[in-house]
Amino acid sequence: MAAGTRSLLVLLAAALPIHAADPAVDSEDRERVKTVARISPAVVAVVTGGGSGVLISEDGYALTNYHVVGGQGPALRCGLPDGNLYDAVVVGLDRIGDVALIKLLPREAGAKFPHAVMGDSDTVKVGDWSLALGNPFLLATDFTPTVTFGLVSGIHRYQYPERGMFEYTDCIQSDTSINPGNSGGPLFNTRGELIGINGRGSFDKRGRVNSGVGYAISINQIKNFLGHLRAGLQVDHASLGAVVSSSPEEEGSRPRVLVSGLISSDAERRGLQLGDELTRFAGRPVGTVNQFKNVLGLYPKGWRVPMTVRREREGGGTETRQMLVRLMGYERQVQGEAPKPPAPGRPKPPGNPDGGKPAADSPAMKLFEARPGFANWHFNKLARDRLLAGLTAKTDLSSTTGDWVVRANAKLGEKGREGTAVIRWAAGTEGMPDRVMALIDGVDFTLEPLKTDLPAASLRDPPGSGGMLTALYHFRQLMLKGKSGFVGESSHGGVEPYYPPLEKEPDDLFKARLDAEIIRASLGGVDTRFQFTTGQGGTRLAGMESVLDKEEDPCEIHFDDYREAGGKSLPFKISVFHGGRPYCRLEVQSWDLK
Amino acid sequence: MGPEVTLLAAALLLVSPAEETLGEVASKVNARLVKIYGSGGVKGLPGYGTGILVSPEGHILTAANHLPDSSDLRVHLADGTRLSAKVVASEPELDAALLKIDDKTAAGELPHFDIAKASKAPLLAPGTGVLAFSNQFQIATRDEPLTVQRGVVAAITTLQGRIGVFEAPYSGSVYVIDAITNNPGAAGGALTNRKGDLVGIIGRELRNDQTQTWINYAVPLGATVASRGTQGRMLSLAELLEKKEKYRPSGRPDRAGRSGDWNVRAGWILVPQVIDRTPPFIEEVEANSPASRAGARPDDLIVYVDGTPVPTIAALRDILEKYRPGDKVQVEVRRQDRLQTLVVELEPPPKPPANPPR
Repeated sequence: MAAGTRSLLVLLAAALPIHAADPAVDSEDRERVKTVARISPAVVAVVTGGGSGVLISEDGYALTNYHVVGGQGPALRCGLPDGNLYDAVVVGLDRIGDVALIKLLPREAGAKFPHAVMGDSDTVKVGDWSLALGNPFLLATDFTPTVTFGLVSGIHRYQYPERGMFEYTDCIQSDTSINPGNSGGPLFNTRGELIGINGRGSFDKRGRVNSGVGYAISINQIKNFLGHLRAGLQVDHASLGAVVSSSPEEEGSRPRVLVSGLISSDAERRGLQLGDELTRFAGRPVGTVNQFKNVLGLYPKGWRVPMTVRREREGGGTETRQMLVRLMGYERQVQGEAPKPPAPGRPKPPGNPDGGKPAADSPAMKLFEARPGFANWHFNKLARDRLLAGLTAKTDLSSTTGDWVVRANAKLGEKGREGTAVIRWAAGTEGMPDRVMALIDGVDFTLEPLKTDLPAASLRDPPGSGGMLTALYHFRQLMLKGKSGFVGESSHGGVEPYYPPLEKEPDDLFKARLDAEIIRASLGGVDTRFQFTTGQGGTRLAGMESVLDKEEDPCEIHFDDYREAGGKSLPFKISVFHGGRPYCRLEVQSWDLK
Repeated sequence: MGPEVTLLAAALLLVSPAEETLGEVASKVNARLVKIYGSGGVKGLPGYGTGILVSPEGHILTAANHLPDSSDLRVHLADGTRLSAKVVASEPELDAALLKIDDKTAAGELPHFDIAKASKAPLLAPGTGVLAFSNQFQIATRDEPLTVQRGVVAAITTLQGRIGVFEAPYSGSVYVIDAITNNPGAAGGALTNRKGDLVGIIGRELRNDQTQTWINYAVPLGATVASRGTQGRMLSLAELLEKKEKYRPSGRPDRAGRSGDWNVRAGWILVPQVIDRTPPFIEEVEANSPASRAGARPDDLIVYVDGTPVPTIAALRDILEKYRPGDKVQVEVRRQDRLQTLVVELEPPPKPPANPPR
């Protein structure tokens, strides 16, 4: 007895100084406990599909993995740490990036959801601590998330896709325990900011449970796709249209990335050549193929990003070139069921009868509409109509059904030769169809867009503009009739970078980009993307691009210097580019709208 | 008493450098590690691994697994430089191999760990925080930094591991850690304390002998182990690293364990019996011995003794126990791809020395 007491005392004596040793550790521990309490309410248990998720907005948008909700149908059931089950609907899907955006329906109309704050995953460093919250093994039937804590083991990691899907680029690797059911759940930094979505791990011989190597999709990648996802799109990732490979392996060599193959692509049209050394891509230095694939994977198909190449100059020396390249699509049609990702396995719901599938009359189905190419057409229509309503609020031209005339001073061609321009949109009358006419420096061009069997050349008039008249016809359709101006298609195209024409090319074009919301419209076989900025000045048409042939450069028109004219906000600077070169730059003298 | 204490505290402050963040520690350690590529990719044996730079000339400490057996070994330095390397020594009994990069341009001023100092440091106590650096799963390529995991020393114990059906050759002390390092490609990685000081080398993909669970372990830099092949000899990792050559324990080899001179003498010296299944390869043939008279040569593999197959050194020993000095025994050996028949007239074993070496 006495001996027992003594050893207990010894133990206490040994333990006390250790406990009291580092007040910093104590306070860090307390902070972490507080952080966990703050971020937990936003963690979602995605019951349908057996995974996790995280709310990112007070109106119920939440992120999860594609491999959690893909193939589960549009209506879902989700649990929150308040202990309640919620109906939810799939909004946007990114199969390749393994991301899904879903929307939880409030239990009472207008009720707000707790949500996580998105951090900047580019500031995450190796050696940072991280917190993973989620629902591993579907442990918590009351949906209280499980918290695991660990080290960021690596950043800018590249994990190969499996059968064309689930390519994890530029992802965050951590030794924070990730187990079946954690998929789709959040990875937080110690400040409680959302830095990634846990979705994959490296598994070898122990089955799909924690191996000390988990991967989270970086939140910054997801931010690039979020505009697309919110618009109900089924997004595609990007390819360059060129094959790059490591420089020939020489002893003692440092890696370089060389262009070793090229297909017909925007990259080729922008002047990329075989043998070029890729040094920067989308604002990031590139030294290895993995680094290139990491950066490429961050962007959706169709985005334009700058890239810098180094090239041997004839007669010695090297030159560097920056080019703005439009990214091609990535996805080959993957047939059949989704393959099993190398993700933590899907846990078996532990006898949760009402947990699994939502009822067929789920209220979520009111927020769903199927359409090929879209994850949820309902949300696309909402996004499109909201954007066009914003446009009409500033510039409503729907009543000006007569002729429109713009008179302008023009700077023509690359050299900016001075001249004049008159653009006339003539409304169709009896016996006289719609016409778009341009009088450029005394030369007359006319397009009758509704006429069938138009010669290809006249669609591209004036020569060198890439189809300015055709594009301007689409412009009138949009401004006059909105979505009903396009019989082919008009949909929201998500968010893309927009590069306003600048006098002098900046060193890093990527920093000069603006975020633009896109309307995709199609008429007479010509696809147009209208680019809107939605800043403080309201919704504004900043630019448009009309593609007459996918193998050709589009006609780009930029609109700037908006002024009030006749109670409408109208652009007084209009510039037309084709193939990266200016065709004309107009200083508008007058808008005449009838 | 009081002033002395103050002085001591001041001295402590002076020697302890400003606290580095784990990220800074990680990049410091990473600069001293390499990725190793060689043969593999079959039967769960990865063709990649991790190594630790231990000299400015490019000596690399790694695990003695299948990788150093590759004919074409390549390493990638932390900055992505790609170099070829050769094996200096592979010592399965120490669970360690020493490589050296070939290239002379890179050598001379490579960042490296000071092994001499590190191997003298006392063992970390269980509960001490550690970091594990490795290229497990080949996540990092070229200049990408290795994976870093955090853990604590869970225990210090002797290794009782298995590789498949084989017993692990290393039987010395190990750090058992709670970080999951038992993953492909992690072997040869660095175990450091939280300040980035090297304390051990991450071990191979082994299972615990008794529980059949995967062991996350590292060999301490100060490891010494009693050789099984050369009984009574102590092998030391520090000595291997200091000499930087094929490790030959000092002193006379214990012939009883190695030569096959059991109850009879043939005069062949077999390879060290590293595992139970070590086959009876002849390493050396003593001059003027029954084996040399019969025409045995180094690298001969003894296959049959009087028609009985002898797959292992243990089997050879068992069968020779039935013979007496003076017996003639017909031995089939495999030499290159052909079988040779030798007739060996066995002699009495040499008398053990009066004071056996310890």
